[in-house]
Amino acid sequence: MVGITAYNAYVPRLRLDRNLIARAWGTPQAAGEIAVANYDEDALTMATEVGLACAPDSEAAAVDALYFASTSAPYREKQVASVVATACDLPRRAQTADFTGSVRAGMSALLAGVHAVRAGARNDVLIAAADARLAAPESEIEGLLGHAAAGLRIGSTAVLAEVIDAASVSEEFTHLWRTDDQKFVQAFPGKFSNTYGYARNLGEAIRALLAAQKLKPESIARLAVYSPDARAGIDLAKDLGFDPRRQLVSPAVSTIGSAGVADPLLALAAALDEATAGDWIVVGAYGEGADALLLRVTDELPRRRALYSWKRAVENKLPLASYEKYLKFRRVLDLDEPGDAVTNVLEFKELKQDIRLYGSRCDACDTVQFPITRVCIKCKQSGHVSDHKLRKQGTIFTFTVDHLVANLEHPLPMAVVDLDGGGRVYLQVTDFTEKEVGIGLPVMLTFRRLQDGGGNHNYFWKARPVR
Amino acid sequence: MKDQVAVIGVGCTKFGDRFETSYEELICEAAFDAYADAGITSEDIQAAYLGTYLPGPSGGKAAVSLGDALRLYDRPITRVENYCATGTDAFRNGCLAIASGAYDIVLVLGAEKLKDRGGRGLPRLGHPLLAKGNSAPGLFALAANRYMHTFKIGREMLAKVAVKNHYNGARNPKAHLRMEVTEEKVLNAPIIAWPFGLFDCCPTTDGAAAAIICRADLAKRFRSDYVLVKGFGLAVTSGRPYFDPTFDYLGFRSTQMAAQQAYKMAGISPKDVSFAEVHDCFTWTEITNTEDLGFCPKGQGGALAAEGRTSLSGDIPINPSGGLKSFGHPIGASGVRMIYECVKQLQGQGGERQVKNPQLGLAHNVGGPGAVSCVIILGHN
Repeated sequence: MVGITAYNAYVPRLRLDRNLIARAWGTPQAAGEIAVANYDEDALTMATEVGLACAPDSEAAAVDALYFASTSAPYREKQVASVVATACDLPRRAQTADFTGSVRAGMSALLAGVHAVRAGARNDVLIAAADARLAAPESEIEGLLGHAAAGLRIGSTAVLAEVIDAASVSEEFTHLWRTDDQKFVQAFPGKFSNTYGYARNLGEAIRALLAAQKLKPESIARLAVYSPDARAGIDLAKDLGFDPRRQLVSPAVSTIGSAGVADPLLALAAALDEATAGDWIVVGAYGEGADALLLRVTDELPRRRALYSWKRAVENKLPLASYEKYLKFRRVLDLDEPGDAVTNVLEFKELKQDIRLYGSRCDACDTVQFPITRVCIKCKQSGHVSDHKLRKQGTIFTFTVDHLVANLEHPLPMAVVDLDGGGRVYLQVTDFTEKEVGIGLPVMLTFRRLQDGGGNHNYFWKARPVR
Repeated sequence: MKDQVAVIGVGCTKFGDRFETSYEELICEAAFDAYADAGITSEDIQAAYLGTYLPGPSGGKAAVSLGDALRLYDRPITRVENYCATGTDAFRNGCLAIASGAYDIVLVLGAEKLKDRGGRGLPRLGHPLLAKGNSAPGLFALAANRYMHTFKIGREMLAKVAVKNHYNGARNPKAHLRMEVTEEKVLNAPIIAWPFGLFDCCPTTDGAAAAIICRADLAKRFRSDYVLVKGFGLAVTSGRPYFDPTFDYLGFRSTQMAAQQAYKMAGISPKDVSFAEVHDCFTWTEITNTEDLGFCPKGQGGALAAEGRTSLSGDIPINPSGGLKSFGHPIGASGVRMIYECVKQLQGQGGERQVKNPQLGLAHNVGGPGAVSCVIILGHN
């Protein structure tokens, strides 16, 4: 049996009220909000969040492939999957690949994972789909695009939802696009694209899937589909003979904004959160054609529920104070943001320490320390220390909230964190409220974009309040 | 080492925003002030030690900048750099050179030109990832918050240090910030790095200070009221204490160890010290330093200031000069400037800020995140 063995949703904590956008441009009031990646988040860091949730430290060694999907990767040339795999401390032998080019890429990665495991070429594939797409200021889709990530693991043991079948349609149809020199996603508006692109392509794939399996819409517990706007998914479900109120799961677009490659996988995650054994789930992804996937939930699901459920991911939120902050955090405003040089040599030398997050443990006195050292900080002996993987939870030992230090977001809390299982680290704090920074408070470590230095993006760990 | 080295002259520039003055000019001001005080010329200098921390746009890249400024060529000149203990460490190195018998008369000079750097004065230092987000106030604030949490003291206690040091500095014509402040003003100032507000932090300052030292047995040729070096100590601890799981953040071991070395050399205990110039880059730093130097038990440094015992008329006056808080903190210059203050006080030339009948003065720097500390004890001949 091949299928999903783990799943998680990640939504950045910040929300931009659509009214703030409306106020900025003098357009009519708009209800709801969109999820916005924090200033230190991007598709890579969000993919790492779901990667770590799906393949925690105790299971990372088993994963033998990581497929990253995004249309908004932080690099145009450079694989992102390799960074996510390293931060998740996956083995070096794991195959890594990036899937991109279309909001269907998340499903493409998922299908590739399924095929690899079915073929016996891979045993345990981690899928990390994340998007933080930018819409042009004052464009129709500015209040529509949300940022989020979804993670899945594909395997053949402890399967919580078996992949039964899939159907695909490929068609050249330009609905959402971005040329290689554009910063903002373009969209051909409204009914034409939804009717002739979305509904026609995805409808065709889902009909083909149901026909091949001789299933009727009423047999399906959940229709989990990408939807370009709040209406299109409902119209499609009705058109296919589903009851949108009872069966449709298309939650991103109405709660956090259309989440790109993560969108259909978030719909799947939301469906799995509430599914019971035996449920049929149809997942639908769209973009230059469509893919539809048929799953059947097993009795393994209750044991493998998401660490980050969709509901929890959506509810854990902080409001962004202003539209201007959104422009700054997402680099719509081209601000000077100086960083220190991290050379390729430094990155190479310290990869295990800085990205895989290993410290040292003294075999003589058991002291766990960071950064990696040759001489124990406590017993001062050399030759007794070995590399030690640090845990990513801990407690704030002391802190400050710095208003002076140069940073995109002010003020900047810095914390000294005593990690569970040993080791003390000194980190920036992110995604915080004032009352969440103080001595004795529990935090988790999160992989974030620290700065741009040495001509590329520099990632490192930060602390965030436990969610 | 006790009583082998004498200070026969000291000099100091006006500290402050010296926008119209170059690094080299500051060096000259301090050096010629010290020459005059000692009654010597540059021809008498056999070796020199330059304490300077930040190679800046206007000089300080090596000992050469001291040689060029003073036209002090053909003699050994060494640059010393050891975080904020740079000045006192340069002095310590000068003492070692005299005591070794290599030289009879040595110039020690500390200089810094922070204002030429623009912006906040200090560049960001350290590992681009592991130290990202740190600042000098932020690093000391980490310790202050843990200390205040443990000993249950509030910002009011810190503010009392600022009030005292501004009071002293207002009486010092060479100080950078010559105004008194109220506790209310300190508490209501904008926050720099919690718990430090603007008036909990020393300013970034330009300045230079100098000392002429010689073999003690030669000192009376120059003046009768020379001052003797009684003891010194220097200790380093981790430059990354924030990663050290054994560090309690309640004080600085480097200060404790450097003080012990100095007291042992001088053959005294902390209660013998008449007054001290203590590193007060932040108000809390003075509180913890008075404890680490042994003037009161751990946790009671705040009360020491609050009870007025560290004021000019108290039993252990701390920072009669105004301290870094009010006098300013041009990093490499500060330690030598403290020597200057100690010598002037011991010679009874403290003016409005003169402490009563001092016998022993102590100068102390702590630098980096508590990573290095230097203590110098000076006394009457």
